[in-house]
Amino acid sequence: MIEFKLPALGENIEQGDLVRLMIAPGATVSEGQAVMELETDKAVVEVPSSVSGKVQEILVKEGEKVKVGQVIFTVENHAGAAVAAAAPKSAPVASAQRAASEAQAAAKPLPVPTPQPGPPAPPQRTRSTDAPREFRLQELGENISEGDLVRLMIAPGAKVSEGQPVMELETDKAVVEVPSSVSGVVAEVKVKEGEKIKVGQVIFTLQGSAPSQAEAVRPPSRPVEHVSGQHGARLAFQAAIRAEGKTEEQALPPDQPQPRPPAFSMPVQLGKVAGTEHREPVPAAPSTRRLAREIGVDIYAVKGTGPGGRISEDDVKAHAKALVTAGAAAAQAPPRAGHFIEPKLPDFAKWGKIERVSMRGVRRKTAEHLAESWNTIPHVTQHDRADITELEQLRARFAPKAEQAGGKMTVTAIALKVCAAALKVFPQFNATIDMEKEEIIYKQYINIGVAADTDRGLLVPVIRDVDKKNIVELAVELSQLSQKAREKKITLADMEGGTFTITNLGGIGGTAFTPIVNHPEVAILGLSRSRMEPEWIGGKFEPRLILPLSLSYDHRLIDGADAARFLRWVAEAFEQPFLLSVQG
Amino acid sequence: MNEALNQLSSGTPESAEKLRIAVVGGGPGGYAAAFLAADLGMQVTLIDPEVNPGGVCLYRGCIPSKALLHVAKLIEESQQAKNWGIEFPKPNIDLARLRSWKEGVVKKLTGGLGLLSKQRHVEYIQGRAAFQGSTTLQITKADASEAVLSFDRIILATGSRPAIIPALKLDTPCLMDSTGGLNLEDIPGSLLVVGGGYIGLELGSVYAALGTRVTVVEMLPGLLPGADRDLVLPLHKRLEKMFEAILLNTTVASLKEDGAGIRATFAGAALQEKDREKVFDRVLVSVGRKPNSEIAGLETTQVQVNARGFIEVNKQLQTADPSIYAIGDVVGEPMLAHKAMHEGRTAVEAIAGHKVAFEPAAIPAVVFTDPEVAWCGLTETQAEKENREIKVAKFPWGASGRAVTLDRPEGMTKLLIDPQTERVLGVGIVGVGAGDLIAEGVLAIEMAALASDVAMTIHPHPTLSETVMESAEVFFGTSTDIFRPKRA
Repeated sequence: MIEFKLPALGENIEQGDLVRLMIAPGATVSEGQAVMELETDKAVVEVPSSVSGKVQEILVKEGEKVKVGQVIFTVENHAGAAVAAAAPKSAPVASAQRAASEAQAAAKPLPVPTPQPGPPAPPQRTRSTDAPREFRLQELGENISEGDLVRLMIAPGAKVSEGQPVMELETDKAVVEVPSSVSGVVAEVKVKEGEKIKVGQVIFTLQGSAPSQAEAVRPPSRPVEHVSGQHGARLAFQAAIRAEGKTEEQALPPDQPQPRPPAFSMPVQLGKVAGTEHREPVPAAPSTRRLAREIGVDIYAVKGTGPGGRISEDDVKAHAKALVTAGAAAAQAPPRAGHFIEPKLPDFAKWGKIERVSMRGVRRKTAEHLAESWNTIPHVTQHDRADITELEQLRARFAPKAEQAGGKMTVTAIALKVCAAALKVFPQFNATIDMEKEEIIYKQYINIGVAADTDRGLLVPVIRDVDKKNIVELAVELSQLSQKAREKKITLADMEGGTFTITNLGGIGGTAFTPIVNHPEVAILGLSRSRMEPEWIGGKFEPRLILPLSLSYDHRLIDGADAARFLRWVAEAFEQPFLLSVQG
Repeated sequence: MNEALNQLSSGTPESAEKLRIAVVGGGPGGYAAAFLAADLGMQVTLIDPEVNPGGVCLYRGCIPSKALLHVAKLIEESQQAKNWGIEFPKPNIDLARLRSWKEGVVKKLTGGLGLLSKQRHVEYIQGRAAFQGSTTLQITKADASEAVLSFDRIILATGSRPAIIPALKLDTPCLMDSTGGLNLEDIPGSLLVVGGGYIGLELGSVYAALGTRVTVVEMLPGLLPGADRDLVLPLHKRLEKMFEAILLNTTVASLKEDGAGIRATFAGAALQEKDREKVFDRVLVSVGRKPNSEIAGLETTQVQVNARGFIEVNKQLQTADPSIYAIGDVVGEPMLAHKAMHEGRTAVEAIAGHKVAFEPAAIPAVVFTDPEVAWCGLTETQAEKENREIKVAKFPWGASGRAVTLDRPEGMTKLLIDPQTERVLGVGIVGVGAGDLIAEGVLAIEMAALASDVAMTIHPHPTLSETVMESAEVFFGTSTDIFRPKRA
């Protein structure tokens, strides 16, 4: 049996939500074949198989969280695959054989499953076709030939597995639990509680069909607990009394309510302390509990770091220390950026019906990322307007050319080119602050992210080396990436490495907004809807197409004047496209 | 130990050492409290009607009954020895000497406590105390002289007494409570024990071993109500052989003097006609105990007594009256000497100004029958009632070498384990010496031990204590002496 485990997906990605499974038990997979779609924080990725063979068991479900290293499915080892290859219906012979040989190859580096030393694994025995169909009472011990059945732990229809206790038998000397030596589904139970049972007597039979391998391998999901509760004990008690020849009425009905003790009686209830409120015993030694009380720590509030959550003296001291420092910190310091605690929410259900939906994937990541950006970066937004009347004529003229190439000549595509040129002129807008090292990192490349509104939320695919591509190329690439994002095909790599971001809400409307810088970048350009406005040109108003621009920037690195200059430069570049060829 | 004491003393406020403390009641709770208070430098007066400290436990309870149970076990074992090739003739029982031996044990231990009081400069007053306000006691001494003394703090440790059933009260020495039973005036031909709790079973066992035909009547469906049924079963089986009859779901409708004996009539749905009435030489009533909270002058204090007769206390054992503390049977169940002793020490520490509380993780309960039954912490009965998920790991003594050498393989040790943390939450043992074995379980629970801690602690071989370790191994499916693989 070969296992396929979720391989590493990328930097810092440890898990993802399983969106779609592309395989089923019995299917043949080959190496490199996509077997599932996984949604990580940023992207939906297709995961290819690294093994080949016939899928035996799938251990994950759609909608589950899957961790890197987790077993996704198992395929039969090469012998199993060879069987699949021999069956001509399942796949073309050639490919099945290839799959088989690949499976063989894949199986090589893995340890070949061998029978484990020590007690033989029970399922292997039951696989043989001549598995016993009944269970007889086995030898119980020297000189013990019979016993009283005090408690049965199985019933017809129950699954039993080898080793599972099926009954309690009282022999001359002791009550023993008798484990089953067979596995399967109980057909008929041939004995009753209270009966004497002899060694060799049939206890129960199994249902006719041989247990399938899967059943034999997997123990019942909810095995009959050998934990005998009061009920079990009562049955044992009952049986014991019956065995002594007492009348049926004297047997104890299992659910008979306890008679109310008369007034004079004080039933002895050992082990319960009256007068002390009931609290679960805390996992801490008496000396530790005493210490907590002495230094005024509620032991129930202390987190134990020992095995099973055991609380040590050090845990109590650490808790006390944390209380003191937390108290002092709360008194002095304002909440540190990014590390403040959200205030407690009111109970909204008080005012009407609510629905709680888990915030997974993109939404959660967006929330975390934007909160971090907002808390880290002192934001300022600079607004300006660009007259794109002439640019619009150019855009309309060149649109068919872009369309021919498979793209769309949009304002965003042009903005990409404009910003790339501006970033070359103002390199501090293409930088990152490293506060820890007290350095500014200037990037010698220009990769611009474009915020895309998808039904999964906000995604920001990045276009690389924008300065080295012409507008038509950019238009084509932008169209492709946007489509990929909407089709959930975008990969994490497609969204990494940006140095600046453009967000265009013009398609929807608005006159201005204050975008949040995409940390660790230092600036973001927002575009709103362009409109015809009267402009005072040469002593009169003229209708001009005006594009509103909003530039948010990190004021730690960028001064207001620089931002105003940068945005003016961008506006002028829109107004005079010729500038791009001269300066960009 | 010295270090602990030094620490206690050094932490004691200056004033605590000068405190005048009265302890009313000289049982285990009372003398434990008095002795610790003296050790902490307080000026202590201990008041009790007996000549020496000891209380019910030493004079009329735990100690004399254990002396007699030892004898009962000896008789039983000498008869069982037949199976091992050693045959003893039927024992000749000299009741007077047995009695005086038992009384000798009591005298020795209570005398020892008297000596310990003197050594600690505890003023012991044989007498009875009545309140005159929150801090003043009027003491009527054994010689009928009276004294009125004032104290800073008073600890009530007045204990409990056997409960009686008014309807079954008869003015004949044939009707006994546990005190009368322990006096052992004769070996009756037949004895009716009313109440299948631990006192009735212990005393019933003593009389049965001495040759009395014993009948036990219990109104609940099983012996030892409150204990897990699987722990009671081996005891029940053995008692069925020792006793004439065990009548469950049965109550005593009436008792009437009949010649030299007592005629008892029973009521119960499961009863057969011929069992409805019977004459017994003696009747022992053991239907529980009542707290001694009817203390003279208590109304002159602010002490509150609840509906069941228990004095109300907080976790420091302080009553509603700030200068009065109360401990032991008089504050509630379980009415056990070891609980009272721990409470007594806690109360004194609280008085001394230490930040303490009575909040044990486990109080052991022991029934000193043969086999003994003992448990601590969570029981299966309680877990079921609370619908609490637990795992139970049982080790049958049939697989214990030591139990087999003793020819007593009917015992069983079980651990109740939290399936998440694998912490030991409860321990139950039935078998010879279970009362001694349970101490390890109490320690395990108090220390928050995990099943693996118990399994990985080396236990001496061959001893019964191994059954505790092996039941922890059973939890992991790896017990050496029984094969029961863990199921998924």
